Amino acid sequence: MPIKKKFPYRAAVVACNGGCRASKTVDTKCVYGCIGCEQCVLACRFGAIRINDLGIAEVDEAKCIACGKCVSYCPQNLIHIHECANYIVVKCSNRDKGRDARAVCEVSCIGCGMCEKICSANAIHVENNVAVIEEGKCLSCGMCAVNCPRGALIDTRGVLTGKY
Amino acid sequence: MSAYTFTVNGVTHTVTEKKSLLRYLRDDLRLTSVKDGCSQGACGACTVIIDGETVKACVPTTDRLAGKNILTVEGLSEWEAKVYTFAYGEAGAVQCGFCIPGMVMCTKALLDKNPDPTEAEIKYALRNNYCRCTGYVKIIAAVKLAAQIWREGRIPEASATDWKVGSRVHRLDVEEKVLGYGKYPDDYYPEHTTYAGALRSKYPRARVLAIDTSKARALPGVVAVLTADDIPGQNKIGHLKHDQYTLIPVGGLTHYLGDAIALVIAEDMATVEKAKKLIRVDYEVLPAVHSIEEAAAPGAPLVFDEEASNVQAYKHVSRGDASGAIAGAPHVISAHFETPWTEHAFLEPEAATAFLDDDGDIFIYSTDQSAHQTLHECQLLLGTKKIKVQNALVGGGFGGKEDMTVQHLAALAVYHTHRPVKMNLTRAESLLVHPKRHHFVMDFTMGCDHDGKILGVKAKVASDTGAYASLGGPVLERACTHAAGPYAYENFEIEGTAYYTNNPPAGAFRGFGVTQTCFATETLLNMMAEKIGISPWEIRCRNAIRPWGVLPNGQIVDDSTGLVETLEAVKPYYDAAVAAGKPVGLACAMKNAGVGVGIPDTGRVKLIVEPDGKLHIYSGASCIGQGLGTVLVQNVVEYTGLSRADIVYERSNTWIAPDSGTTSGSRQTLITGEACIRACRKFMEAYTDGVALADLVGREFYGEYLAKTDPLGANVPNPVSHVAYGYATQMCILDKKTGKVEQMVAAHDVGKAVNPLSCEGQIEGGVVMSMGFALREDYPLDENCKPTGKYGALGLFRAHEIPEIKAIVVDKPGLNVAGGAIGIGEITSIPTAPAITEAYYQYDGQRRYSLPISGTPYRK
Repeated sequence: MPIKKKFPYRAAVVACNGGCRASKTVDTKCVYGCIGCEQCVLACRFGAIRINDLGIAEVDEAKCIACGKCVSYCPQNLIHIHECANYIVVKCSNRDKGRDARAVCEVSCIGCGMCEKICSANAIHVENNVAVIEEGKCLSCGMCAVNCPRGALIDTRGVLTGKY
Repeated sequence: MSAYTFTVNGVTHTVTEKKSLLRYLRDDLRLTSVKDGCSQGACGACTVIIDGETVKACVPTTDRLAGKNILTVEGLSEWEAKVYTFAYGEAGAVQCGFCIPGMVMCTKALLDKNPDPTEAEIKYALRNNYCRCTGYVKIIAAVKLAAQIWREGRIPEASATDWKVGSRVHRLDVEEKVLGYGKYPDDYYPEHTTYAGALRSKYPRARVLAIDTSKARALPGVVAVLTADDIPGQNKIGHLKHDQYTLIPVGGLTHYLGDAIALVIAEDMATVEKAKKLIRVDYEVLPAVHSIEEAAAPGAPLVFDEEASNVQAYKHVSRGDASGAIAGAPHVISAHFETPWTEHAFLEPEAATAFLDDDGDIFIYSTDQSAHQTLHECQLLLGTKKIKVQNALVGGGFGGKEDMTVQHLAALAVYHTHRPVKMNLTRAESLLVHPKRHHFVMDFTMGCDHDGKILGVKAKVASDTGAYASLGGPVLERACTHAAGPYAYENFEIEGTAYYTNNPPAGAFRGFGVTQTCFATETLLNMMAEKIGISPWEIRCRNAIRPWGVLPNGQIVDDSTGLVETLEAVKPYYDAAVAAGKPVGLACAMKNAGVGVGIPDTGRVKLIVEPDGKLHIYSGASCIGQGLGTVLVQNVVEYTGLSRADIVYERSNTWIAPDSGTTSGSRQTLITGEACIRACRKFMEAYTDGVALADLVGREFYGEYLAKTDPLGANVPNPVSHVAYGYATQMCILDKKTGKVEQMVAAHDVGKAVNPLSCEGQIEGGVVMSMGFALREDYPLDENCKPTGKYGALGLFRAHEIPEIKAIVVDKPGLNVAGGAIGIGEITSIPTAPAITEAYYQYDGQRRYSLPISGTPYRK
C-alpha cells in the first residue's frame, strides 16, 4: 500500500451497478448511471479505479485512499466516499420514478421502499426515488440488500450478495 | 426443487427448504449458540462467520448460501474455545451472556485477519452488535487480551483464583456463555413441542364485543385456540396489584395494543401466525387516553372499567416545612423537567418453554427476575399448585422481566393441551408488551442559603404508568423518597401521581423512578451552584450526607455512608478537567439496596450437600446477568473455607430453592448475600474438625435474613426506610472540539465489593445505558398508542461510540450485614444523565430540562 491509511478506512463507491451495460461508445439508456467515460480512472493517482467488464467504474478499496478526486471528476456525480466498514451500499443513482427506472436497467433502484420498511435501524430512506443509507445509523446487517427486489444494494464483501 | 449445499462447522449440509439461516441453524441443526435476539438484523446475537466475514444469521436465507462455509461458536477449535473463554472471563466481559457468542464470532473474524488490532479496530469489529449489560468496555478488553494470547501462543494464569470475597475471579458462568452451550428458555426444544402466539388487540382502547375462533381452530396444525373463558383461575394477575388481564374477555375493555385476546397453539410458528389471522374479533372502538394530561383531564375516558379514575397511585412525602424554608431562602430556583419512556432493550426477548413433567406438574423454563413470582402468578391464573418454575439463563432484565409476559400463557397452553410448548415474543412484541421506564413530568423548587446549603425542596411529579399498574406505585414512591438526593437537610415535600393511560405499561427499570427525579434535583443543584458562585463539586460537598447525619426522610445513616468518598475519588479528575478548560459536569446519587419502607424483604438460601459430595447453593433468587451466582459462591468460600471445586451454584427454582424475593431494588447481593452467610454459619456448626463434606451428604443448612425497615410515614423520629444505601458521584468530560463525551468517571460506594471486576462491569454498563437515556434513547408512541421504534433505532449506544469510562469502586465498611456489601445494580444508571447535561451546559451555555437532551452531536 503506497500511502498509510488512517482508520476508519474510507473509500470511493460508485453508485451504479452497470445494469444497463454502460459504455462510453454507445449512448446509455440510463441518464443517471456510469457511462464508463474513464474520467475517474484518469484522475486517480493510485490506480484504485478501473472500468470493469460491465463497462462501469469500480473501486478497489484496498488501494483507494478516499481523496475524493474521482468524486469531483465524475460528470454523472455518482461517486461518493463511504466508510469501508459500512459494506452495504446502494449501487444506483437513478432518480426517475419506478417504472422509468425499471425500464432502463435490470438492477436499478425503483424507490419501492422495501429497504426502508425492513430496516430495523431506520438507516435507509428513499430520497428522490433512490435509496440512501445514513452511515451513522446503519448496522450493516444487509437485510435491505437481501430483500431488495432489484438487487440494487450490495454487500461489498461479496457475502450476502454478489460483489457487483 | 432446488437444493443448496453448504458447510456448517466443517460438515456439509444440503437444504431444500428456503428459510433464514438463523432458523436453519437453531431449529434444524440445534446450534443454539446462535441466539435469536430480534430476527431483524439489528441486535447481532445471531452473528456467525461466513467465508471469514461476520454475518447476522437472521439475514441470509438458505438459498443464498450455496458453496459457503459457515462457522458458529460450536465450530471453534479446542484452542480457540479455551482462548476466548479465558479472555472473556479474565476481562470480566460476560454478564447476561446473550450477546456473547455473537461477540466471540466478531472477535474471531477480526483476529483471523488482524492479529494485532488497535482499540479503534476492535470497536469497529464489534460495532454492529449490541450489548446492553457491559457497556462494551470489558468486551473490548477481552478482544485485546485474546489477541495478545493469540500472538504469544500461551494462556497466562488467571489474575485471581482464590474465590474469596473481594477477589476478581472469573464469573462461574463464563464458559457456558462464551461457548454458547448454556441454555436460555428458547434453547430448550422438547420433543413434539407446540408453539404458541397471542392475538393482540387492534386498538388501544376498545370493547371486545365478540371473538370467533372457529376458523382458526379448524386450520390443520392448530392444536388449540384459547380465550378468557378457558382460564381456570383468575384472569387478572399482576406483580402487586392484580389488574393485568391475561386474556381480554368478551365484554371487556382493552387497555393497550399488547393486550392478548386469544392464544393460539399450533404445531409450528407459521401455523400460529396463519391462525391468528383467522380469528375474528368485533370491537367497539373507544377514544384512547394517550398522555398524563389526557388521563388527568376532567371527564377523561377511564382506562379501567373497575376504577373510579385514572389515578393509579398517589404519594405524598413530607418532612419539616419545605414551603416555609423556601419562602425564607435567599436563593430559590424552580424548573420543569421531563424524562422519556425508556425501553429496556435486553438482548433476549421474552421466552418460555413449558411441558408436563413426570410428576404431572406444569414445568416452566423461564427467563424472569423471580421464579417464585412467576410461580405465584401462574398459580393464580390456573388455580392449581401443580406448577414448577426453573430459571434458565436470563438474557438481561433491568426491571423489564419482573412481570408476566409469556410464562403464564405458556402455562395455560400446557394446562389445556398437555403438550410441550414454546412461547417467545417477537422483538416487535417485546417492544410493545413488557413494562417500560416511566415517562415523568416534574416541577421542582429548591431554596438555598448564601453558602449553597439546601434549605428546602418542594416538588410535584406525575408519571405515565400506562395500561397496567405493574410496579407503578413503588416506582412512584421511590422517585418521591429519593428526590431529595443524598444530602443532609430537613425540609422536603413531594407529591406524586401515577396515571393509567392506554400506552404500553410502565414498571420497573434500573433506577426505579430515581433516575427520573435525580435528573431534576441534580440539575437544580448545578443551577444553584452557578447562582451562588461555587463549583458543582463544592455545592455537593457542602450538602453531602455524612455518617450519622440525617437524610431528608429522617433516616440516620450509618458508618457505611460513602458519598464524600465518591466525591473525593472523582476530585483529581474533576480538577484536572476544569484546569484544562474542558466542559465538565458532575452529579451525585443515592439508591436503596433492598425493598425497604416496611415491606417484608426476606433473603433465603439453602445449602445442601448433595450425593456428589459437593455443597450446592439453592436460592430462589434470579441471576439476570449481574452475577449473583458468583457472589454467592464467593460468600460460601469466604465463610466456610471450602474450595471452589466443592461448591455448585444452582439456578433459581421453585421446588428446592426457597423464595428469596425478586431481583429488584439492588437487593440480591445484600439480602440474599446475608442469607447465604447465615446458611454458611449453620453449615460450619456441622462442618467441624474431623468432619468431611462427604459425611454431610443429605444435610441441609438454611439461612434466612429479614431486612427490617419502617413504613413510609412511620410515627418514629428517625424511621429506617432502607437497610442500606449506595452512593455515587459521576462526572462527564466533553471533548471541546467534537462536542462528544470524551470521558465518564464514575465513583461508586459499594460498602464491600464482593467481586470488584463484576462491580466495574455493573458501573460501565450502567453508565453506557444512561448515556443512552441522557443523549439519545427514545420510545416514541404514535396516535394509536403504538411504539414506532424498532430495536436498531432505539438509540442504544454502540461499541465504537462509547467514551473512555473510568469506573472507581469505593469500599467503605460499616454495614453490619452481608459482609458490608451494598447492591450496585441500579445506582450506576442514576447520576449519569444530570452529569452529562451539566457538561453540555458548560459547553454551550444551554440549560436542558428534558431528556434525551438535544443540540448535541448525538441528537440534533
